[in-house]
Amino acid sequence: MGLESSKWAIIFLVCWLYKNVSCNSVEQKIYVELNNTVPCVRLLNATHQIGCQSSISGDTGVIHVLESEADLEWPLSKGPNPPYMVLLESSLFTRSIMMKMKNESNRVAGVAVVVPNTSPPEFSPHTTCPNENTGVYSDNYGPNLAHCNTTVWNPRGNGLSYEEFDFPVFSLKEDNETEFIKQCYLDHNRAVNGSAPQYPLCAMQLFSHMHAVTNTPTCMRRNDINFSINPEMVCDPLGDYNVWGSIRPYNDTVFGHKENESVVIAAARLDSRAFFWEVSTGAEGSVSGFVTLLAAAQALREVTHAAPPTRNILFAFFQGETFDYIGSSRMVYDMENGKFVIDLDNIHSVLEIGQVAVHSGTNLFLHSDPVSRRNNTVNDEVKNLVNNLQSSTAGLGFLLVEPNVSQPLPPSSLQRFLRAQPIPGIVLADHESAFNNRYYESFYDNAANLNLTYPSDLSPEEQLEFVTDTAKSLTDVATVVARALYKQAGGDESLVNTIKADPKIVTQMLYGFLVSSNNSWFQAVMAPELKNILKPSPPEYYVGVAMSSTPTRLVQYLLANLTGAATNLTQSQCQKPDELPNESRQMYSYLWVQGIVPPNSTERDSFCVRASVRLTKAVSPAFELGEYASKDYSTWTESRWKFIKARIFLVASRDLEMLTLGVGVAVLFTSLLVTYFISTKADVLFSSTREPASAAY
Amino acid sequence: MNLERLPNEEKLTLCRKYYLGKLQMYVCVWGFAFLPFLWLVNVVWFFKEAFVKPTYTEQLQIKTYVKRSGLGLLLWVAVLTTWITIFQHFRAEWGEVGDYLSFTIPLGIP
Repeated sequence: MGLESSKWAIIFLVCWLYKNVSCNSVEQKIYVELNNTVPCVRLLNATHQIGCQSSISGDTGVIHVLESEADLEWPLSKGPNPPYMVLLESSLFTRSIMMKMKNESNRVAGVAVVVPNTSPPEFSPHTTCPNENTGVYSDNYGPNLAHCNTTVWNPRGNGLSYEEFDFPVFSLKEDNETEFIKQCYLDHNRAVNGSAPQYPLCAMQLFSHMHAVTNTPTCMRRNDINFSINPEMVCDPLGDYNVWGSIRPYNDTVFGHKENESVVIAAARLDSRAFFWEVSTGAEGSVSGFVTLLAAAQALREVTHAAPPTRNILFAFFQGETFDYIGSSRMVYDMENGKFVIDLDNIHSVLEIGQVAVHSGTNLFLHSDPVSRRNNTVNDEVKNLVNNLQSSTAGLGFLLVEPNVSQPLPPSSLQRFLRAQPIPGIVLADHESAFNNRYYESFYDNAANLNLTYPSDLSPEEQLEFVTDTAKSLTDVATVVARALYKQAGGDESLVNTIKADPKIVTQMLYGFLVSSNNSWFQAVMAPELKNILKPSPPEYYVGVAMSSTPTRLVQYLLANLTGAATNLTQSQCQKPDELPNESRQMYSYLWVQGIVPPNSTERDSFCVRASVRLTKAVSPAFELGEYASKDYSTWTESRWKFIKARIFLVASRDLEMLTLGVGVAVLFTSLLVTYFISTKADVLFSSTREPASAAY
Repeated sequence: MNLERLPNEEKLTLCRKYYLGKLQMYVCVWGFAFLPFLWLVNVVWFFKEAFVKPTYTEQLQIKTYVKRSGLGLLLWVAVLTTWITIFQHFRAEWGEVGDYLSFTIPLGIP
């Protein structure tokens, strides 16, 4: 009995001790991990590599907070403890400072950029002439229009995104971690009264080791080599899916030219990019365009069911357009090779929605290609399209105007169609010549760039429903686009004025795509298995390599919900609709969506949507053909990496490190010597001097 | 294996085996490939026997084998060093050829 209770007492004591004992990790006392960082990664194309690279064991540098451009002297020449990790405010993140650091890169270990919540007056890291080598203008086609000789589209571009840096560049948010870093710098690294700062100094270490080098042909070749023990993939091609939908459905298994079929294509682009990996918001650059097109598709739904037009209308959303037109070049390639439901000869005309949200006056502009318009048939058709567009603005408060001078098309998917065949087309944009967008392809192209503001006292659900001014102006543009498309497709003229886009839908889309994608409307239109891609922040519009980007899925389901029909199929019927007599998976796609939550219940009212919306692969034809050095198609790939992290710690001087190492080595040799001597003289040192005791008593 | 304990006859056979690279009774193809290492072993192991110890009958033959092994070793070292230096220096420039000749390609550097 006593033994039992003492056993229990011991067990309780051990458990209590186990609960109250904690462990201390030496690593946690030394390093402070930085969690909210975004790296710049390496991208490669047929001839170059761009982006940033760190060494395989990270780059360590003494932190220096840059105060002005003149202060660059300290890290680049005067500072006594190179290499330095330069911390920049975003106002100093300019081309001249970055290029100076690139030239002295043996003294610069890396750069960290603090991104504020407010945007600078202008910033565009893209090039001045986007996609200049893969558009339609070249030495053979409009040579005086090629390479932005007549109009520079992005004059604010500083080209930083396309430079190669051999040190890591990370971006930090303006939050507690950055305050901590600046405090560490002020405590340890400041030079006092002109004398050099004393060790220990505050240092930062950045890890972003990229596996791919040189260019795409090299990295794709290294992907394929099977000879080594552990074959490693080093890079992946950029790509995702294009979304397309049409008024009259097409049979998804019959490809190639369709007799007597004439189609009007309405196009927009889905993707965007920024200097740092994946943080692209693309508000004016891409969201304004595809939201307008989605609203126009919804506006056309009723009238095209009541009075179908003669020609079909195909809504196309292209992914990867930032990187040399990945999506549109793939669709044109598929059309040329009979792998798409229609052919280039089936296309009657193209209307593309470019950047339409930042107006500089009351007008919007209709850009067309002067070279193809030299042909009279094409010219007549373009004039017809311009007329249809201009007459659709009746009563809406703005005008559609053609630019005064003969200038080329802005960077747009239409250029890839023109590369294959002269097709009449118009690009609708808010800029007459250079972009109005001051933050083209940068991380500042966000809701604030579109003046998307909500009154401060609204809850998120109320913000979702609130119709902003931006939404109203985009709704008007969508109405014009819808009416013009209906007329262009040969619809009934008397019904045109009944076509109106819905401002509520436009404002809900703007909220979901620019403020928070996890809202009740997006949840209602998405599939149950995809609801995890909805987050409280806006989605990222970088095309990526995983073939599963959020914007593609959102646009697919939205287009299906806005242009398709709700059916009363059950979930299992929705997955196998061919068993039913009137349904065909070849003509439509059947998507099971979550639906809304009715007021007095907790279960969602899920249903099956039938729509003629499809996804087609948007990977550059260069990768299908194996021509990795192609000059005609996009060859962009993204490098792979193992891990990316950043941390700060206090670093000791080199002398102290060498001294510690020297003392350690000396102790090692001394102990070896001592052991050797003791072992050779063992008999002398350890012998017993006493005689064996004889029993004397 | 302690050479002290072997009779001289057997030392000579052993030295010859390492010189010729015959690890078994038949000529092993692998012997040719491992030749520079076998020759290195020969030189190091039998150096004392050939040059330091007082003369005995078989020593002259052992001396020849050790000398020839030494020469062969020097030749191999020269060839390998030259090839390794050239390959490490020019592998990046050789592009495709360099990649196909490599067994492991380093990540992130050309």
